[in-house]
Amino acid sequence: MMRRGLYVILALLLILVVMLLGLQVGSFDTGAGTIFDAIFHYNPDNTTHFAILHLRLPRLILALVVGASLAFCGYLMQAMVNNGLADPYLLGTASGASLGAVIVFFGFVPMTVAGVYLPPVFALVGAFVVTLVVVMLGYRKRQIIPAQLLLAGIALSSLVTAMVGLLTFLSDSEGKLRSVVFWSMGSFERASWEMVPYPAAALLVALLLFAFYQKQLNILLLGEERAQALGIQVAQTRWVILATVSVVTGFAVATSGPIGFVGLIIPHVTRGLLGATGRGNLLLCAFIGGLFMLLCDLLSRIIYPPAGLPIGIITSFFGVPFFVYLLFKKNYNFRG
Amino acid sequence: MSGIYTLRQARFILPAILCLLLFGCNQRQKQAKETLVLKDDLGRELILQKKPERVFSFASSLTEMLYAVLDTSTIIARTPTDDYPAAVYRKPLVSNYPVDYEQVLALKPDLIFTVEGITPLEVAERLQQLGVPVYYQKYRTVEDIFTGLEDIGRIMGRKQEAKQLTDSLRQEVAQLRQKYKQRENPLQVLAITWSDPIYVYGQNTILSDKLRILGAENAVQEVFEQPYPALTREYVLKLNPDVLLGGTKEELEESFFSLYPELRRIKAYQNNRIYKPNDNLMSRPSPRVVESLRELEGFLYP
Repeated sequence: MMRRGLYVILALLLILVVMLLGLQVGSFDTGAGTIFDAIFHYNPDNTTHFAILHLRLPRLILALVVGASLAFCGYLMQAMVNNGLADPYLLGTASGASLGAVIVFFGFVPMTVAGVYLPPVFALVGAFVVTLVVVMLGYRKRQIIPAQLLLAGIALSSLVTAMVGLLTFLSDSEGKLRSVVFWSMGSFERASWEMVPYPAAALLVALLLFAFYQKQLNILLLGEERAQALGIQVAQTRWVILATVSVVTGFAVATSGPIGFVGLIIPHVTRGLLGATGRGNLLLCAFIGGLFMLLCDLLSRIIYPPAGLPIGIITSFFGVPFFVYLLFKKNYNFRG
Repeated sequence: MSGIYTLRQARFILPAILCLLLFGCNQRQKQAKETLVLKDDLGRELILQKKPERVFSFASSLTEMLYAVLDTSTIIARTPTDDYPAAVYRKPLVSNYPVDYEQVLALKPDLIFTVEGITPLEVAERLQQLGVPVYYQKYRTVEDIFTGLEDIGRIMGRKQEAKQLTDSLRQEVAQLRQKYKQRENPLQVLAITWSDPIYVYGQNTILSDKLRILGAENAVQEVFEQPYPALTREYVLKLNPDVLLGGTKEELEESFFSLYPELRRIKAYQNNRIYKPNDNLMSRPSPRVVESLRELEGFLYP
């Protein structure tokens, strides 16, 4: 009980610290004083202030929200299919989003309509459409069958990835290729105040919703039959999870591209800290995910200024060794 | 017994074969004296059996160079991106990406020209093994284009033609340089090649030299490893260029500025100094470089 509270407070503090550090990294030289001025005495004509509040801050918030979303959804997926290998992209969200974005990048539809930049919009649509098909394939006898859902997700993802590959291969310009490659490795560079509210709202609603579902989630880990016997409406819980994961992951991927590994490893880290059925697990998982993503973003921009290394590369480089360490740690296992 | 006998015979046959081989080698060495040894811009050594008479290029810029210097009958192919001069369409098409090795061999070229960065070195090695040498050129400045033209002339036995061309081109460039020399507060020019992510012409591109000739500067002063570095919105905001090249204002409004509305603060946007240069003139280091300079001049000093 104490430990949970401590971890949450610690995570929040670290998030704050990393965000303050992150606000100082960029092309304009900015010390702590300038950051303070920009926040409390904002001068719209000062370009440095503008960069801090309109470029750096939304970027950090987007990184936080996306990291939290992916970790949170990864936790939900692993609980639902009762398997530590699951991640939020199992529903085909990432490949669907890629296909959507690639369709715009390769000029099948205009880049902008009425001033709206379309790749993220199509990515969102692609994510939803593919997820819907995967869920339909995983649905039999009026309920979701996890094993079938997983296989459907893997199969359809491969198919959609092949379609993306085909379009990429047939591409006629180097620029388009760059866009696709860049997009597929994830980026927060497009973050703006107009865009951040969508993934943030999706995440907040989901966090609130699952404040009430945490118990069901833990009982689900005991296996379907026992959960049923304990009075859990397994089918209904699964639908709630699926709907949440597809919406939250969809927004995260559409805004930032398919960033790997966060959704897989952070849930394991959380369970490693608090045990498999801790009550604050979901919230803490989201916080750790956000913190991890902020750190990765900061690193990417420090290592390779100005553009920053693609975020997906950093998450894998730093996430995987830690994950391997976790796997070999004796006292950790999936069901606690 | 008979086995030993054959071995004995072999004692006489082997030296004979060796002698023949040595003789053959001698003959080949004699031929080697007539071969041509070239060193390309990457320092690679190429050995040609004779003066090249059938050539083509893997880069559209170099195709333009070849047409400017050579007898057009010695140019034997074009790549899918070649479009200038129009006469190039009369040549057979060959795929340069991915390289269609069979087709290249069928055309029996004596030499293939290419530009650093366009053709991977392993492709060149492969072609070398197949008996087709690949000659690389690289350009950092406008002057490099002219020496490139003269190199082509020297290799292909068209020194005179190349000299005439480069003399007149050099003279035009010198006139422009004279006209715009020592301007105070040179215009800062940012040229973008792609919006998502933002890729720009870096300091290590020939554009920087063109702008210098015209008394302006590439806004990207920092030298990156890549010739066309990726930048962030914040970096562009800090550069705050006077002139933005990469599309008409309407086009960039649709793409660049709708993706990054924050960048509407830059001077080029505020003062409506956004222009669309001809892509091929911008990206190809070719004999049309003076044409490219004149186009840029029109944008910089309207």
